[in-house]
Amino acid sequence: MLARSESNYAITLAIRSEAEQVSLLCEALHALCLYASGSVECALAVQQAAAEAINNVVEHAYHNQPDNEIIVGWCQEERQIRVDILDEGLSMARLPKPVLPDFEAESSRGWWIINASVDKYFYQTICDTFAGPVLHPGGMGTDFKDLENIPHTNILTLLKRF
Amino acid sequence: MVINEQKHDDIDIVVLSGRFVMADAPEVRERLKTLVEAGQGKLLVNMESVTFIDSSACAVLISAFKAMQLKTGRLVLVNSPIVQSLIELTRLHTVFEIMPNAEAAIAALAAG
Repeated sequence: MLARSESNYAITLAIRSEAEQVSLLCEALHALCLYASGSVECALAVQQAAAEAINNVVEHAYHNQPDNEIIVGWCQEERQIRVDILDEGLSMARLPKPVLPDFEAESSRGWWIINASVDKYFYQTICDTFAGPVLHPGGMGTDFKDLENIPHTNILTLLKRF
Repeated sequence: MVINEQKHDDIDIVVLSGRFVMADAPEVRERLKTLVEAGQGKLLVNMESVTFIDSSACAVLISAFKAMQLKTGRLVLVNSPIVQSLIELTRLHTVFEIMPNAEAAIAALAAG
């Protein structure tokens, strides 16, 4: 994992898109949040949401292909923590509604957990010539099929007050 | 994460410790599947020492629970506070059989 400090209140972390790397990143985020907020609950909540979001990137944006980069920006904005998760993989055309599936379903609990863990989250895809709409839970965006061969960045932002 | 298998009479016990997350899910899924298939229908998954859990781990537990149901057996969980917190957040506590500690879980499984 690479880490670069921007200031006392901001840091950028980067990992390869491998499931084995996610814990390292999440533990670093936990430590940063604990330091900033002094709250175990806040640190755990951010880690919980970040773990789900980064798992989604590994699994869905990059289809478990390991040689891609996931960049996470962490910063403290007064009494709020902001986490930006950036990838260049497959974009989401909509941000799923946080709905709990039936018990029988083994997947699809991630957005529910994210929604319950942070105060706000939103998603945007940008490229050199185009910035998609900022998507909120349940919101529909653009059909990004045309972007598959164009360099672009997907950004999921998590906000947590403390 | 560390996976430790034990046996108490006809009860299979899996003790998990450390982080139980997406990277660990395939191995734990396979170990639980093997135990469900080969065991006597009594399985305790002890997660008292699990320090973090994600939805991938929940999926593994659901899979094992469903496999045990097909066998008309029982799967009992013992959870650390962090595990219990996510289990409750995802409402899985309404379906899983959860005991406060390993002794209580073994007693419950031994009683049938």
